[in-house]
Amino acid sequence: MRRIVDTRGRMRTDFLASLAVLAIVAFLPAVMTSDYWRGVIVVSMYFALLAISWNLLAGYTGQFSLAPATFAMIGGYTTGLLAYHFGATAVLGIPAAIVVGGVIGLLLAAIVMRLRGPYLALTTLSFAEIIRVVIANSIDFTRGDLGLNVPSLFERRLTSYYVMLAVVAGIQAGVYWLLRGPGGLYLRAIRDDEVAAAGRGVDTVRWKTYAFALSAAIGGLAGALYAHFAQFVSPELGLVSQAGLVISMVVIGGLGSLGGPIVGAVLVYVTSELLREVGGYQLIVFAILVILFARFFRDGLWGLLRSGYERRFVTSDVRTVTAE
Amino acid sequence: MLILDLLINGLIIGVFYALMAMGLSLIFGILKIVNFAHGEFYMVGAYAYTLAAVMLKVPPWLALPLAFFAGAIVGLVVERLLIRPLYAGYTSWGLKRDEYAVIVTFALSILLINLVDKFVGPYGIRGPPLVGNARVHVGPAIVSGHRLVASLVAIALVAGTMLLVRYSHWGRQIQAVAQNRLGASLAGTDPARVSGIVFALAGGLAAVAGALLANVFNPTPDVGLFPATKAYVIIVLGGMGSIAGAVVASLLLGVLESFGSVYISYEYRDTFGLIILMIVLLIRPQGLLGEHSREV
Repeated sequence: MRRIVDTRGRMRTDFLASLAVLAIVAFLPAVMTSDYWRGVIVVSMYFALLAISWNLLAGYTGQFSLAPATFAMIGGYTTGLLAYHFGATAVLGIPAAIVVGGVIGLLLAAIVMRLRGPYLALTTLSFAEIIRVVIANSIDFTRGDLGLNVPSLFERRLTSYYVMLAVVAGIQAGVYWLLRGPGGLYLRAIRDDEVAAAGRGVDTVRWKTYAFALSAAIGGLAGALYAHFAQFVSPELGLVSQAGLVISMVVIGGLGSLGGPIVGAVLVYVTSELLREVGGYQLIVFAILVILFARFFRDGLWGLLRSGYERRFVTSDVRTVTAE
Repeated sequence: MLILDLLINGLIIGVFYALMAMGLSLIFGILKIVNFAHGEFYMVGAYAYTLAAVMLKVPPWLALPLAFFAGAIVGLVVERLLIRPLYAGYTSWGLKRDEYAVIVTFALSILLINLVDKFVGPYGIRGPPLVGNARVHVGPAIVSGHRLVASLVAIALVAGTMLLVRYSHWGRQIQAVAQNRLGASLAGTDPARVSGIVFALAGGLAAVAGALLANVFNPTPDVGLFPATKAYVIIVLGGMGSIAGAVVASLLLGVLESFGSVYISYEYRDTFGLIILMIVLLIRPQGLLGEHSREV
């Protein structure tokens, strides 16, 4: 049984609900006074950006890349290296990180344009590892595994908090705007059946390229903001396990939904900080959760919440058609 | 005689790569998925061998088959619990199938690494050698006795597996399902049973590789990442799903890395294979000895 529903109406509800989640996060500092936990939320906003960028690529375009963390590393190093070698400020570094991320995203798109499924996963994994090894070994230029110190952007933590939150809200709005227009329709058509989409006149090469470049640019932005917040970048930012963390956030939150990545990123990262204090079981718990969600709840937490909401409140504007 | 020395050492490493890559290739052959938890089968074998020999004082030659069975059981359990949904009555999944396979095997890899890290400990334990560590001259190369015996065992297993897949009844069933799942089931072969056999075999072979190398690379929770990465390169290079291709590509990669780390760059030795992987996928996606499956 396949359900065909009114996706545009649902998307608007999803978007508004995800803004409501961000609004809750915006009011958190009122009750959460510890600087440490505010920092945790800032980092979870960094992961939310990465999760949104990966969801755009994997959830909406069907391009299952294993390199989401790589673009954050590229972005962090772009602004970090500009500051280290030329003394450039974040005003130059952050836009440069977006551009460099986007351009390398174009390069990756060109490499993997014809690949699908397991081939795509293997190639993006190799791409991620090659970039990481090159950065870790170019010791004269990047200081290798020692990492780079990056100047901080804001004096006060609360400023970083609201800037990160505003960026996430802005990117979310941009992604929503893209997905509700014809572009979103093309991307989802490519995800569901690339050959059929091409047959119906969708310029698949062009839209896949856009998706890769846009996703990479968002990743670059996230990495640059993180680097200025943490005041440090190292090749560890691009480890495969970091990509695994982003993927598990999206899978637990809800792959291919607007709100899933944000909810997943906040819940997974905050829970991981809580579990770290009780003895480092966080990765075991998340791996089990990811397997269970992939196996039994394919739409993630967001999908569970949404189906509960629709069963309760929506009657007429969701058309359910039984097919197959 | 540096060249001959490098060649022999490269071939020895290549044989161990082949133990990993053959199982990965068999799995790809029948299910068209890449098992991202393959390195953890290797890790399970390395730990089973080392812990049995060090803690339970099992003689090393007996710990070796134990490692095989440990890997085979893990492989079988993984297949039954996580891989079966890929083919058992989920016909409408379509495109989501690849995603499920990547997510689940990726998460399984993280799960197994962290379970071992938490319950056995993050520190490496050196596996005992199979024979005393006397050095042996193989032509111009000097190899430790353990490495020589281990590589002989590996050669025997690689050859045995190739013969098994080619001539035995089970092997022919595996080939049939790899060529055409529907056709094989019409001819009376149960694809579910074959998937179980393949996962057990793949798990066992990877585990033996881990056990044989436990004396060289001390088992740590993430010891499997490195050989698994090599195996991904190899199955792409040899043609996804091709057993003979996997063996040829393993030896080739072993030799190439052995020469490359001396003549090109030691720091970047681990990227050679990854660059080859990307180039092969771009230029010749069917690999060196790739086969086309038959459509009905």
